[in-house]
Amino acid sequence: MSKMHAEHLNAFYGQKQVLADVSLEIKERQITALIGPSGCGKTTFMRTLNRMNDTIRSFHIQGQVYLEGQPIYTPEYDVVELRQRVGMVFQRPNPFPQSIYDNVAFGPRVLGTARGSELDAVVERCLTDVGLWKEVRDDLRREALALSLGQQQRLCLARVIATTPEVILMDEPASALDPVETLRIEDLMRELVAHYTIVIVTHNMQQAARVSDWTAFFLTDDGQTGQLVEYGETGKMFTQPDDRRTVDYITGRFG
Amino acid sequence: MLRQRFEGELQRLQNEVLELGYMVQRAVANSVDYLKTRNLDGAQQIIDEDMRINSKRFQIESDVLVLIATQQPMARDLRALAAILDIIRELERTGDYGKGISRINLMIGEQDLIKPLLDIPRMCEIAMDMLARALRAYIEQDEQAARAIPMEDEQVDALYNQIRHELMGLILADRSKIEQANMLLWAAHNLERAADRVTNVCERVVFLITGELADLPDGED
Repeated sequence: MSKMHAEHLNAFYGQKQVLADVSLEIKERQITALIGPSGCGKTTFMRTLNRMNDTIRSFHIQGQVYLEGQPIYTPEYDVVELRQRVGMVFQRPNPFPQSIYDNVAFGPRVLGTARGSELDAVVERCLTDVGLWKEVRDDLRREALALSLGQQQRLCLARVIATTPEVILMDEPASALDPVETLRIEDLMRELVAHYTIVIVTHNMQQAARVSDWTAFFLTDDGQTGQLVEYGETGKMFTQPDDRRTVDYITGRFG
Repeated sequence: MLRQRFEGELQRLQNEVLELGYMVQRAVANSVDYLKTRNLDGAQQIIDEDMRINSKRFQIESDVLVLIATQQPMARDLRALAAILDIIRELERTGDYGKGISRINLMIGEQDLIKPLLDIPRMCEIAMDMLARALRAYIEQDEQAARAIPMEDEQVDALYNQIRHELMGLILADRSKIEQANMLLWAAHNLERAADRVTNVCERVVFLITGELADLPDGED
């Protein structure tokens, strides 16, 4: 089942084309990994899924992106609602400079979806879902920034799921973390995918191979315009890819 | 527990290896039973079903390669997957012996047996018991059991020599029996090879547990 898809998506910063003719499906409640060398457009592509690129004035697209069949690049589309439905976790953990509790409670408070003891319940559920609850339950008023990086990243994930998104975008979520914290985040992703659709950008191919169900490989041939070279089931992509360029990339024949 | 995805898939593959082992055991045991009871339809069935043994082997192999490529197993995990690749090959070849014995059965066809089968079924019983215990040693990661099983290969070899002797005797006494005697000898040879394959499986089980790649003594040295 398709949760989101891009159709003939071309993306530009002003005159500069950074994505060319990308058509890609994001399957519901599966993990899709976007891989490729630096500058290949994978992060740009992921950010089109919740219109994060809108914050850059010169950015514009041709083509379309759909969420459950509805085009999201239209003047009437509610971007705030989009970003609640399609949440994002960033490369460097970025908790608010507030308490652990307030970080998770922020979204529900702003949206008005929970109050008082309901809010307590939401905070507990989200912290439990990301495996943080036992570690922090004794002092939820503690500063979020006092947590370890791995814990902060899981807190950011808890913050995202507090607003009950449908899709979670993760931009190199473990690149700032040590190997054990990385594996914990990956195990967590496999748990969360039972309820959420997940898209992850990673320059770590092995991580993409370990954790994802589907893999999309991006590449530029001119150093500027990213294209989708190949997209398929992860097992197949890493054992029998169709495209020569994919073979070269995953076997480390070129960086 | 970390690496749940890998652990889960590894478990599944180990169960698939067991399943393949049971299929092979049944094929070989039945092939000898049908030879003894002159069940030609049964023999044909075993030949037809050998395809399923082969497909299963290839499916497991393919799944192991995907798991290695996607999960970057190290150390014991890597050995576990390498061991699976080798063990399934040994099992599939053993399954071929069941097919071979069934072909012999069909070639003998409507003829009467030149001698009642006693030692061939006995060889089969020992070899298949060795196989069953090797599979258990594999799944339980029992190094001691894995080292002990190859010692019984000696019994199988002894029976094979006995059969050879007896069949030679029959041929010398009555040259018209040479064709069937040859086929029965071939069937016995298949069982002797099956027991050798079980020894190889045991070697791989030891490898998986200890990292040591070596021939296990089989009682003849």
